[in-house]
Amino acid sequence: MKTLSALKVLVVEDEALVSMLVEDMLTDLGCTIVGPAAEIEEALRLATSADIDAALLDVNLGGRPIFPVADALRARGVPYAFASGYGEAGISEDHKGASVLQKPFREADLRRVLEGLVSQTA
Amino acid sequence: MASLAETEVREVGAREDVDFDVYSRLAAAERSLAEEIRKSETLARVSEAVASSHDVDACVQVVIDGAREIIGAAFGAFFYNVVDTDGESYALYRLSGASPEAFAAFPNVRKTEVFAPTFNGEGVVRSDDITLDPRYGRNAPRHGMPAGHLPVRSYLAIPVANRQGEILGGLFFGHPEAGRFTARDENLVVGMGAQVAATIDTIKVNADAREELIQRRRAEERLKFALDSGRMGSWDLDVATRAYEASDLCKLNYGRRPEESFGFADLIDTIHPDDRPRILTSIEAAIRDGADYDVEYRVVHPNGDLRWLHARGRAATIADDGGVRRLAGVSLDITGRKRAEERQKLLVNELNHRVKNSLATVQSIAAQTLRSVAAPEFFREAFESRLIALSQTHDLLTRESWEGASLREVIDAEMHAMAGEDRVSFDYENDIRLSPKAAVALGMGVHELATNASKYGALSTPDGRVTVAWTLDRDVLRLTWTEKDGPEVQPPARRGFGVRLLERGLAAELSGAVDLTYDAAGVVCLMALPLRALEPDT
Repeated sequence: MKTLSALKVLVVEDEALVSMLVEDMLTDLGCTIVGPAAEIEEALRLATSADIDAALLDVNLGGRPIFPVADALRARGVPYAFASGYGEAGISEDHKGASVLQKPFREADLRRVLEGLVSQTA
Repeated sequence: MASLAETEVREVGAREDVDFDVYSRLAAAERSLAEEIRKSETLARVSEAVASSHDVDACVQVVIDGAREIIGAAFGAFFYNVVDTDGESYALYRLSGASPEAFAAFPNVRKTEVFAPTFNGEGVVRSDDITLDPRYGRNAPRHGMPAGHLPVRSYLAIPVANRQGEILGGLFFGHPEAGRFTARDENLVVGMGAQVAATIDTIKVNADAREELIQRRRAEERLKFALDSGRMGSWDLDVATRAYEASDLCKLNYGRRPEESFGFADLIDTIHPDDRPRILTSIEAAIRDGADYDVEYRVVHPNGDLRWLHARGRAATIADDGGVRRLAGVSLDITGRKRAEERQKLLVNELNHRVKNSLATVQSIAAQTLRSVAAPEFFREAFESRLIALSQTHDLLTRESWEGASLREVIDAEMHAMAGEDRVSFDYENDIRLSPKAAVALGMGVHELATNASKYGALSTPDGRVTVAWTLDRDVLRLTWTEKDGPEVQPPARRGFGVRLLERGLAAELSGAVDLTYDAAGVVCLMALPLRALEPDT
């Protein structure tokens, strides 16, 4: 199993305060942050071209669903997890089965989900 | 020839004594026959009139008039067996051979010993002289006929009862002379009484049937009104033939006009394909088990409209073998309710999402406040003050149904919370609508600036002032926060939560740039934020 240390994680989150919290957690876990992206266009650009190992995606980005970004990551084989206030209920049909972090979540929850993502690609 | 004539005359003369008796008997017999024929004709006329009566009073009148004539009574009357509230007297009557005034002065007929056998249906009372009858004159206060009563001695009274034995009333006849009514008269009147009873029954049955028809029509009108006002269609399905009848409103529920034909196959075709198997199963169950049919389903109108219907029904006719012959019920368009339910569900989900996001925001504020305070004892004040700043923005957004808030409102709310609203001046041309997300982020940013100002900057001295100015430059909001007349500003030793929020969080979230400078004359914060990241979705 890969260590989370130096794992490059794309963060897509449109709420400044929540984004800052996630960044702090990832930094504590030893990850490198890519982004954060607060808009779909920026998130898509990073998802298709940036050097990343995993991604944490807010489901709803200013009223627009994140799923095109998830599709782009899936196409590249980059593992991703959703972070959502809706929980599992907010995930579209063809992304059911992906890891979902229900907001608010603890650093330990984020670690567990990331370890799960890393083991997928191991 | 003459002798023959003489002989004939003589012979007649010779037989005169004998013949006189014969002739007088013959004449009597002829009179009697004529009388019988007249009675028979009267009887036939009365019978016909009674049989064709549509009105009980008219029927009764014909009978008492006819019977009085046939039996040679002076007076005739019919009293209906309609008991007054006192339970003793019979108020309604028809008369023959006497004017109503002859009775008007007297109280109602009472159930005396003379009248009781008639009204109790015990049998006929026929008396040659009723005043000599042992039952007569037994009742106080009058003990007999009241003074001025029609003079009655011959008396004939017949109960009139229907086939069920119910006493409808009584036929009464009288004559001032004694011994006028014979057994034959009695038989005749009994026969007429039976005719009256049968006719009254028939008239009543017809009236009841008519009344029932009227009631049914009224009930049907009420039902139609209720169905129409409730926008309810009604339908009826013949199980064996699958013949389906739908009301105009029912057709409307399936997108059909009243004049269009709409059968069972059309009904099934109109149901949304995804709901069709479920509905067919329900119909079969209702037919098989006689279970109530109560389903909600989508229909696709011929014009493509998708609507929700609620249909209810039950077995209307059951065959002798217990099988259901007909299903009948109502259908109602519930699209409005379904949409409201969906909206409600969406709202609850959205509310949950917001609550969860707010909790994550609070979690972030707590974590970062803890990181940035110099010592744990400063945590509480800093945390609470940020929590209240967040709450201020939420209040603003709630007032506007979380559709957004204006930039000026957000700044005012935060400055008011810091008791700094009279120390700030504004300079701008147009206010800006902010999305909820942008309002929360900017509200928190302004809170951090105001907190810093009240601790170390312009708001920490009585004369210090703050100017907030903004312009719009090619879809970019350029906002400056300028402090002046405060103490000389020193750059902070460590970059706290506020600075981080402004320079990194706000800038990243709103896809812009935030620059904080610690000019000796006062703190200056420059924000350049693209409008598309600030304004609510339209």
